[in-house]
Amino acid sequence: MNNIHPRERELQQYALGKSDANPEVIAHIESCPGCQAEVSIYQMLFTEIKEQSPVSFDFDVQELVLSRLPKTNTGLTTDDIIAGFLVIFTCSCIGIPVYIFRKIILNSFIDIPPFFIYSIIIGTTGILITKILSLYKKFLKQMHLLNIN
Amino acid sequence: MQLAGLITGVNHTIGNNPADKHLVDRVLRGDTRAFGIIIKNTENLVAQIVFKFIPVAEDRKDLAQDIYMKAFHSLGGFKFQSKLSTWIARIAYNSCLSWIEKKKLVLPGNLHEDEEIFETTSAGIYHHSSVENNLFQKELSVILRKEMEGLPAIYQTLITLFHHESMTYEELSQITGLPEGTVKSSLFRARKMLKENLLSKYQKETL
Repeated sequence: MNNIHPRERELQQYALGKSDANPEVIAHIESCPGCQAEVSIYQMLFTEIKEQSPVSFDFDVQELVLSRLPKTNTGLTTDDIIAGFLVIFTCSCIGIPVYIFRKIILNSFIDIPPFFIYSIIIGTTGILITKILSLYKKFLKQMHLLNIN
Repeated sequence: MQLAGLITGVNHTIGNNPADKHLVDRVLRGDTRAFGIIIKNTENLVAQIVFKFIPVAEDRKDLAQDIYMKAFHSLGGFKFQSKLSTWIARIAYNSCLSWIEKKKLVLPGNLHEDEEIFETTSAGIYHHSSVENNLFQKELSVILRKEMEGLPAIYQTLITLFHHESMTYEELSQITGLPEGTVKSSLFRARKMLKENLLSKYQKETL
């Protein structure tokens, strides 16, 4: 056993339970009653500090501070207003011409053979399904790259 | 899974907590109720710091208000380089120092006492084992609290944040603005001073 007592810093380090303490220091402490007593005083101190009841303010901090802040903003933001305006504008651009020219639009379909209309519907559905599948595959590929699944 | 683990590791290192980010975003969008949650989450930590520096209850009230108003107005500049709680604790710490300077208050404890404390070896301390048992009988927690109050405010703060709030040296360094090495040596001196004060106090009382 090393007969030189460890320095105070090393005793504290040991009492804190740090595994990076010097093995010689650890060996000394484990076989020296004096150092063990020092270590237990520190350990007792650390435990007591941890168990001390925490201090707290004797007033409501939240109420005090929040009463001085501007009121909660629950209204619409500028971004919301712009987005809403764009949606209304787009709908109007499509909806108004469709409403005005509804008869012409409907008449334009009268002379079209049903086979042609079915072909358009089936073709469009096919393209949509292909696009959705390709998007889903792309999504799975990205998830795989991110190791998320 | 490796990448996910790596991302988690990076976030832990810089203290970027998604819940903090969400709360900050809400506050910046004008939701003051989110700031109420931030106050609730951090007021105990702020109290731990403020109580160490400011002895007058009325001053503590003004200061707590001041700290959170500063935090609210500076939140836009918070870059998530630390935990939100650490950032607010730093504001609290700096506000306490400014308050003391402004009010020309004298900090609790004697900052120069530690100059006289040198590292010693633990030779000839066998008697401490019996002292330890007796300290338990003398309501150690009451004595400890009293002795803690006698330490310099910075030491009290470091000890409480390290041992009570389980903060790391890095976090303490961020709060106090001191280098990590200085934080470590201050903590060492603080523990040593506390231990020696406790023992000498006990020995005086038993005489």
